[in-house]
Amino acid sequence: MKVSNNQGKQGSCRTKNQQNKGKMTTSNIDLRSIEKFLCKLATEKVGTIIKTKSGTQQTYDLKTGSRKVDIVTEIDKQVEKLIWDSLKTEYPTFQFIGEESYVKGITKITDDPTFIVDPIDGTTNFVHDFPFSCTSIGLTINKEPVVGVIYNPHLDLLISASKGYGVRINGEDFDHVEKLGSMGPLLLNKSVVALQPGSAREGKNFKIKMATFENLLSCDGGFVHGFRNIGSSAMSLAYIAMGYLDAYWDGGCYSWDVCAGWCILNETGGRVVGANPLEWDIGVDNRTYLAVRGTKRGDEKDQEKYIQDF
Amino acid sequence: MVLSKEELKEIELTLVKLVQEEIGPIIKEHTGTKFDTYEDKANQVDLVTVVDKKVESIIKEALNKKYPTFKFIGEESYVPGQTKISKDPTFIVDPIDGTTNFIHGYPYSCTSLGLAEDGKPVVGVVFNPHLNQLFHASKGNGAYLNSFKINVPKRPLTLQKSVVGLEGGAERSEGSGNFDKKMATYKNLLSDKGGYIHGFRSVGSAAMNMCYVANGMLDSYWEGGCWAWDVCAGWCILEETGGKMVGGNPNEWEIPIDRRCYFAVRGGCTKEEQKDYVESFWPHVAGPLEY
Repeated sequence: MKVSNNQGKQGSCRTKNQQNKGKMTTSNIDLRSIEKFLCKLATEKVGTIIKTKSGTQQTYDLKTGSRKVDIVTEIDKQVEKLIWDSLKTEYPTFQFIGEESYVKGITKITDDPTFIVDPIDGTTNFVHDFPFSCTSIGLTINKEPVVGVIYNPHLDLLISASKGYGVRINGEDFDHVEKLGSMGPLLLNKSVVALQPGSAREGKNFKIKMATFENLLSCDGGFVHGFRNIGSSAMSLAYIAMGYLDAYWDGGCYSWDVCAGWCILNETGGRVVGANPLEWDIGVDNRTYLAVRGTKRGDEKDQEKYIQDF
Repeated sequence: MVLSKEELKEIELTLVKLVQEEIGPIIKEHTGTKFDTYEDKANQVDLVTVVDKKVESIIKEALNKKYPTFKFIGEESYVPGQTKISKDPTFIVDPIDGTTNFIHGYPYSCTSLGLAEDGKPVVGVVFNPHLNQLFHASKGNGAYLNSFKINVPKRPLTLQKSVVGLEGGAERSEGSGNFDKKMATYKNLLSDKGGYIHGFRSVGSAAMNMCYVANGMLDSYWEGGCWAWDVCAGWCILEETGGKMVGGNPNEWEIPIDRRCYFAVRGGCTKEEQKDYVESFWPHVAGPLEY
């Protein structure tokens, strides 16, 4: 059981976090400084490990009771511990949810400030040395993603955001308004969509996914410009925020796959809804997601239309 | 005329210089800026831009000047039914591979310059200026990523534990044969009752997929519908790293460059493992693709 609840621990609470009897709000927490701390952690400690170990782990486990395409390495566990230890020292009152320490049915996201962490997103990429494994660290307050940091050490790409403070790429402010202004209109049949089959390769969900892929590609269906699959939810969300992709549709992933990317995407005018129709308002742990990029100023209605067309 | 190892290396370095100094910067500068100016080619999703044509003419001019006796085949100047690959030294060039990526600003467009002699790829240069990844090779001289020699790490190769490059392609009519067969093949490969592969990846560029197989980031790449210029450069790079190219349809062990249906398998393992891998893959192909 690794979901930490250290509230009330004497001596280590920081003044700004102490008034935690009522609801914690983002106004009394310095999100920017948390973002900076996470960036430093991701690039200086975690990135090096991911980069040097990528492609070297030929012995890996299948997740307990899980499918033989759902893999986890020793390094995933080590990296999560490293992140957890660092965060616990710096932010002792915050909760922590990580992919490797998650306990099904027990771990719950509360309203407390909660780090939601995927130590290595894209584990299959990591095992195969496909250069899209990354670390993904998010923070939620009142269940809303408010800080997000994603670092891909292979491409040396650091993308980070905190609520109300916009997005930074490798530490430089990212002007999403300018980027969106230079892009074409957001239309389903002119879009490039990230799609991943995931590890569930049997039964109803697999069938629905494959049929959806086919519908989207078919000239009698969505007839999208194309799909891309880079094997990492966090990187897919980062790429949408950066304006490289228009949308990402997935089912089966978890809060730690999307939490950081969600915050980053929000800060660029993007939106996350449910992957199933009419789920306009969803929680971080919804497990199915449709993420869509922002639009030019004045074209905001295109985003809603895109979601409906999808 | 048979080009020597030294001559091939000289050509490789000429192409490297050309893509680094002239072509790369153009692609990088214009990506994502031409959304409204693409022409519809065969259908709505096969996008070709003004820049594509401009880049091809720059490459053609530079190569004609330096190698006036060599032939030239480029994506934009290709005439269906007429353009043929002969035994002569022939540059086979895709000015911008991954045109959809180029239009959308997705950082996987690249330029792909190959040379074939006697119908076989002998020089290959692929440059992705967005990620600054320059793959280059010539026959007998090894393959390089930027200035580093590519040595594919030794890893076992089996279908179930592999990651395969697969693309949607531009041909999308249901009931037309190839699209349906492709989709059925993907399902066969992914399903727990089929190949149950670790996963597939799509970066939207045949040349980049070939290069990623060449340096072992992907285990294989299966494709139908692309052209000689999409694969020629990558094919040479693949062979120089111990990889193998066969047909995308079953039992095609030897194929010409313009077969249009390909299956590329990485090195870093024994020839026997490669052969077994190919033989375990082909049964999942849902009917022969026809081009």
